[in-house]
Amino acid sequence: MMYDAVIIGGGPAGMSAATILGDKVKTLIIDENDRLGGQLVKQTHKFFGDHEHYASMRGFEIADKLLKEIQKKPVLISLSSTVIGIYPQNTVAYVKDGQIQKVQYKKLLLATGAMERQLPFVNSDLPGVYGAGAIQTLMNQYGIFPGKRFLIVGSGNIGLILAYQLAQSGVEVKMILEALDKVGGYEVHANKVKRLGIPILTGHTIVRAIGDEKVEGAVIARVDKNNIVKGTEREVVVDTICVAVGLTPLIELAEQSGAKVSYIPELGGYVPLRDERMRTTNKDVFVAGDLSSIEEATTAMMEGKIAAMQMVEDLTGENLEDKIYDDLNSLAIFRSGPKSAKIRTGLEKMGINVPKIDLPKPQRFERYDDSKLHAVIECTEEIPCNSCEYACKFDAIKVGININSVPSFDPAKCTGCALCVTSCPGLAIFMKRSEDKAATLGIPYEFLPLPKMDDKMWGLDREGNYVCDVKVKRVVKNPNKTNIVYVELPSEFADMVRHVKYPSKESPYVCRCEEVTLDEIEKVIDLGVTDFEELKRLTRVTMGPCNGKNCKMVVLGILSKKTGIPISSLSHGTSRPPTKPIEFRAFLKEGEE
Amino acid sequence: MEGRILEHPILNFQRKARVKIFFEGREIEAYEGESVAAALHAAGIRVLRYTPIDGRPAGFFCAVGKCSACLMEIDGIPNVRSCMTKVRDGMQIRRQNKNGDLL
Ligand SMILES: Cc1cc2nc3c(=O)[nH]c(=O)nc-3n(C[C@H](O)[C@H](O)[C@H](O)COP(=O)(O)OP(=O)(O)OC[C@H]3O[C@@H](n4cnc5c(N)ncnc54)[C@H](O)[C@@H]3O)c2cc1C
Repeated sequence: MMYDAVIIGGGPAGMSAATILGDKVKTLIIDENDRLGGQLVKQTHKFFGDHEHYASMRGFEIADKLLKEIQKKPVLISLSSTVIGIYPQNTVAYVKDGQIQKVQYKKLLLATGAMERQLPFVNSDLPGVYGAGAIQTLMNQYGIFPGKRFLIVGSGNIGLILAYQLAQSGVEVKMILEALDKVGGYEVHANKVKRLGIPILTGHTIVRAIGDEKVEGAVIARVDKNNIVKGTEREVVVDTICVAVGLTPLIELAEQSGAKVSYIPELGGYVPLRDERMRTTNKDVFVAGDLSSIEEATTAMMEGKIAAMQMVEDLTGENLEDKIYDDLNSLAIFRSGPKSAKIRTGLEKMGINVPKIDLPKPQRFERYDDSKLHAVIECTEEIPCNSCEYACKFDAIKVGININSVPSFDPAKCTGCALCVTSCPGLAIFMKRSEDKAATLGIPYEFLPLPKMDDKMWGLDREGNYVCDVKVKRVVKNPNKTNIVYVELPSEFADMVRHVKYPSKESPYVCRCEEVTLDEIEKVIDLGVTDFEELKRLTRVTMGPCNGKNCKMVVLGILSKKTGIPISSLSHGTSRPPTKPIEFRAFLKEGEE
Repeated sequence: MEGRILEHPILNFQRKARVKIFFEGREIEAYEGESVAAALHAAGIRVLRYTPIDGRPAGFFCAVGKCSACLMEIDGIPNVRSCMTKVRDGMQIRRQNKNGDLL
């Protein structure tokens, strides 16, 4: 059978291409899975990106949406079909139902995506060391618990999102390791995970997995410039290890089709050489999506469209230049932010001109009236996303033409509707009203069970530490499953609390230096101690190396709640030097021993 | 924790019909639409084969048909990717030893 266009790979790149090709030429799309969507079908989180390309929808919903588009067109879809090779005379061979099938193409689009990198460490072949995609397949596609206690290696967006998804399924994540000295993924994704109390250990790696027939633990250690620091090894007890150290393009079919490949690490490893419009060195073969460079769903969709339009021009002679230019321009703007620096370098290495984009950033406002409910936007990193701007019906949030700008927020225009809180893929927007004593805080919440009115919960800070008790005042259930829990709390803590959870049986640590729990502090207050200095002497709270910087406010909050005395009227004790831990030697005179 | 997720804040899992599959002769709970590797994992089975050279236990890594770490003997045929093979009523699944036996 001869087709004008054959698309291999039904992820966002291949699907977007099909929506364009389907109308114009005889098109076949082939995918190995039993449904279209590629990576999208396993993604339960809201995608950041461009509103025009379905940002703020959850991955699996984007897949459904694209599928509906394709079904409106006369595209042939061949599922459960594994392409095994590209042969001479433009022939694609695939296996379906145990039978080899062959089709021919005039133009071929390869959108086969990528596969996960492995990380060699001792026993990395042990059952229970899984790729992130495997865990998502088990958990989000089949609804099967992937394990009980996890160690995640790699803090890119995939590792971070996976940690969040595991927590949503009720699985414990012990920690995330990152060999570099800073978190790899987006700040908002990292924050989502940290406030659940999942630590991200930078400068750490896995040394070995422990176990005979399956994972029973791991040895981790500090790393310094790729070397394990001797003496820092320690064991953690986990039953599953997730390796999330990046993806590498699946180039075999591209090579077989006669397209030249080249090693460009910035784009993910060996990638097919191609021009700006996604044409490879074989004029009849195009590529798009993660196969061409490891990036995002939005870029995959844009590339799929650009490739498809060029294919239509080749096949029918129709002029689509205006649309192609538009999409090339959107793509360039999308890639103009700091997070795309590597991609830009990679594209330049390939000989693709990367235009310098210098677009105005929206103006910022600073006036806040805390007596009315308003949004608090904690999105400070330049990432390509504009969901909040489209969610706001009152023009209070602006991202503007430069999709990488940090949103600007005009509190005067904010009505407190909280639509932005629901839509933000980074869950980085909160609602706040703060009066003299009590404050109201609205927190996006995607866990079970959903809190109920008047429930008492714990307010946790950005690192997941206990801050104070909060009371649930209102729960707004949203169709997109990002619900909002409004809680009441002392106003001093309105800027500290960023997550809530039901109290657990174990008492939380309040003073981490001296290891004092909430329970111990409350017991001493119950004995009649109402003076902060006295409380310090009896429990040692705030007396550790941090000098109370971490916990003083929290302790005062507990004291205030128990005694009914407002914090402002409590004595907060005496501050003594040194304010930071220093070496004893510093007190000696020069020359003294 | 193995087994199946019953409640999820975002997803709604609707399991299809129950099918009978057998691992090393023992019946395993499985539902239509699941892959062999997934159903085995739900039953707590992580070792899917022993490797050809060193005889080490191995399970899946990618679970999406790319890495070929999950090869098993399914209905007498060796070297089948258990992550890409859907369960079928009456299916006989065995751990693969080394390269697998065709006889
Ligand atoms: C955990 C995670 C979180 C992410 N979060 C975001 C996000 O928030 N926002 C965002 O924009 N992006 C996100 N991404 C990235 C995004 O999912 C990918 O960039 C995007 O899916 C790439 O699309 P694609 O079409 O190129 O490839 P894929 O989606 O990988 O699709 C490729 C398809 O080709 C098929 N295929 C491959 N080889 C063959 C063959 N030989 N025969 C038949 N079929 C074959 C595959 O089975 C697959 O279905 C995330 C990715 C992951 C893993």
